Amino acid sequence: MELREFNNQVHPTPDYPSPYGSQHSLRLRTVPAQETSAAQFDWAPPPEDAEDSNEPRNLRELPLHMGLKRAVWQVQQMRTPVVSSSWNIKQSQTFRRFCEVAKYVLSYFVLWKRGIQMIGGHFGGGVQSYFLFLRFLVILNFLSSLLIAAFVLIPSIVFRSMNFNSTIPTVNLTGVEICLQYDPKPDTLMVFITYVLDLISGTGFMEYSYLFYGYYNNSMVESDGFSYNIPLAYLLTASFYFLFCFICMIIRMGGTARVAVVTGGGATGGYSTLVFTGWDHGLQGERTTNLKQSNFRNRLQVDLEEERLKKKAASLTLGQTVSLYALRVFLNIVVLILIGATFYGIAKATQFSQLKQKETTGFVALLLQYLPSMVITASNFVVPLLCDKIALLEKYSPSTTVILALLRAVFLRLVSLGVLLYTLWEQITCEGDIYKENCIPCNYYYNEYKCWETRVGQEMYKLTLFDFLITIATLILVEFPRRIVVDHCSCKLTQWVGRQEFLVAPNVLALVYSQTVVWTGAFFCPLLPFINTIKFILFYYCKKITLFQNCQPATRNFRSTTSNFFFLLVLVFGWMLATMVLLYSVTKIHPSYGCGPFRFYPTMWEVVPQATEMLNNTSAEFLFYIGSQKFSIPLFIFSCVLLCYVSALTSVHGKSVALLKSQCKLEQRDKQFLVRQIEELNATVQKEQREPQQPQRGTDTATRWNQHDNYAFARDEDPRPY
Amino acid sequence: MGGTASKLPKELLSEYQELTFLTKQEILLAHKRFSELQGRENGPYGSRVSMEKILTLPELKSNPFRKRICYVFSTCDLGDGSLSFEDFLDLLSAFSDSATLEIKSHYAFRIFDFDDDGTLDARDLEKLVNCLTGETDDTRLTAEEMRQLLNNILEESDIDKDGTVNLSEFQHVISRSPDFVSSFKIVL
Repeated sequence: MELREFNNQVHPTPDYPSPYGSQHSLRLRTVPAQETSAAQFDWAPPPEDAEDSNEPRNLRELPLHMGLKRAVWQVQQMRTPVVSSSWNIKQSQTFRRFCEVAKYVLSYFVLWKRGIQMIGGHFGGGVQSYFLFLRFLVILNFLSSLLIAAFVLIPSIVFRSMNFNSTIPTVNLTGVEICLQYDPKPDTLMVFITYVLDLISGTGFMEYSYLFYGYYNNSMVESDGFSYNIPLAYLLTASFYFLFCFICMIIRMGGTARVAVVTGGGATGGYSTLVFTGWDHGLQGERTTNLKQSNFRNRLQVDLEEERLKKKAASLTLGQTVSLYALRVFLNIVVLILIGATFYGIAKATQFSQLKQKETTGFVALLLQYLPSMVITASNFVVPLLCDKIALLEKYSPSTTVILALLRAVFLRLVSLGVLLYTLWEQITCEGDIYKENCIPCNYYYNEYKCWETRVGQEMYKLTLFDFLITIATLILVEFPRRIVVDHCSCKLTQWVGRQEFLVAPNVLALVYSQTVVWTGAFFCPLLPFINTIKFILFYYCKKITLFQNCQPATRNFRSTTSNFFFLLVLVFGWMLATMVLLYSVTKIHPSYGCGPFRFYPTMWEVVPQATEMLNNTSAEFLFYIGSQKFSIPLFIFSCVLLCYVSALTSVHGKSVALLKSQCKLEQRDKQFLVRQIEELNATVQKEQREPQQPQRGTDTATRWNQHDNYAFARDEDPRPY
Repeated sequence: MGGTASKLPKELLSEYQELTFLTKQEILLAHKRFSELQGRENGPYGSRVSMEKILTLPELKSNPFRKRICYVFSTCDLGDGSLSFEDFLDLLSAFSDSATLEIKSHYAFRIFDFDDDGTLDARDLEKLVNCLTGETDDTRLTAEEMRQLLNNILEESDIDKDGTVNLSEFQHVISRSPDFVSSFKIVL
């Protein structure tokens, strides 16, 4: 073939062979050669390997430059038979083009795509993962608020404005008349400051509005064949909302988990992975690059030093190890005491706030109302700092320290919310004892909590709002001044403090906490997901501004993939906490008599059995069957079996990955062994040839061959594909 | 073919879509940026843009591997790193969102192979680490640290113990890192 001869002319046999000696085998390949110097390695693989099916995918995947790819494409076009498959090819091509157009159109609808790309470019993958998480939560909250609006809010507005005749079930109400009194309607004339206070604390005019549970009526509308049961809709919407969030989170976790299993954990091979994959090519700007380079150097130096220390630590004496472990145990106890003190503080603050709320008015009342939120936020700020410092003393490896700090912070945040809820529960249900003096007629603490669901909703509303205000205040009062001081004042102290670093983990935990609060409060404050959507959208813009204006890139490289999975896992924990609260309040606590859609039911759950009684026989029987033991226990067993199967499959895949890796290593060692055998054989042959004769040209080539090559395979039989 | 900011003909556009991982908008944007770089250049290379001009792009200006990237993707016979428009598209395709791991790792290997001999030996690795930490004297690692680091890298990734990292060993290391695909990205 002409091309082969052409190749011959351009690539003469080199004097020194490259490790693959590819010049020999390339001569046999029909690739138009570049005029490169002999020292350069030619990377073009043979084009005959391209398959006909799946051609475009394969074309792009060829690591050739454009001219060669075009030549391959033309060869393939000439080869494909014109008669039968051209129509198929055209059809698949048009389909693929349609898919690309569809992807392009859909990409317009992706929220903040350009902004997040820019953030990733300037600050790396870790910070970008925070914003991706934020975007996921925004979309989740938006869809949930649409769900709630469609099934609860809009029907309520419609029915209220049209004054439908609602059928209220007749209930024996003797003896509980006192519980029915609930009159939150505000005065029509209000001082402006009262207006603002009511807005922030959810009382007054805000209390008797669609924002809170208490405003919704227990109307069951039936007219002309159209029937709508508001209480049932309220309950079912809440459960579907929780299910929907759970499914979204699981789907998102599935993607990240799959990657983690495929790469087998990813923590091994630290140095080579860091050096080969550590550079983020999306970074732009001289200062960002210099910072990243110095971070790299720091990280390498720290890792190398840690390795040296580890070698030293492995040779610790018994006494030193014992003292180290004793120190760790002591510090863990200190951390537990710290967290316990926080819980005690929160409980006390909540009790104090609930008791004193009625006695004071005005600004002091507002402060008292926000007291639990303030204590929680303060502890969430102070205690993780202390835990970080303590963790440094414990002398774990850096990765363990990070994970421990995160776990402690998560524990603190979620359980502090739980303590607040527990305290509320204690007050509302008189510590669960409905025969206590305060709870006698109404089964809940009537005097203080005329509409306890609204009160719980108000607490969650205040938590959300306070969290938002604190974040904005931190931005304005701490981060901007810090940047101004660092930039304009060049004394040593400010340079040591340096610019704000955007720490991903605490920020993501703040998001998880806010979302858990929203989930807990969504049942009692139906508009809370909508408020949260707006809050997170504002968060996005504020955090982006502060990121670009005030922050420097992170000093520690952030493993985004494994951390993504961890953050979603923590979000699921938050979801579980909220679900427990929902289930308990729906099934155990008596709803308020004076307000809300579940006014006259013994528990909120009672709506469902009463509604199923009104269904016709077959549907009712079907529902009873699904709920019965005959169905649910086999279903449970089946899902356990499925879970075991899937986890067994996962572990098998992981094991086969490890097996293939070790097989790779063994094959290389076998090759080395064979090479050494051949070298020894050659040496003995050489010796025999040398004795009778003078060194010949053949032995010269053999000597040269042995000196330079590590592989003795025939060049054109080299099976290594790439 | 210098100077005129011509529009890209439709057949070429669809051909580029077939042969690269870029979408239509990305190809058009690349064409626009490349035409801006060409300016009035009308030299003997015709439609090629010299390496100095390519390196004025903000996406490449401060990348420590910018010169190697230009050399790897350049098809110029003189080996001076100048890029034609098709070379530029190849570059963007390898660094794009939808490029596969195999393509990215292949080109990453070529970029890191400073002496173009098909393997990463200790000299290549040392130059690579110096690019990552900074080229000036006070930003380099000490000789002792460099030696320790190179030993560790070769121990982890050199499976056949020949003192160099070849392409399959490199791809093996890359496949274990899930963040590589997202960090080996340049978007205009």
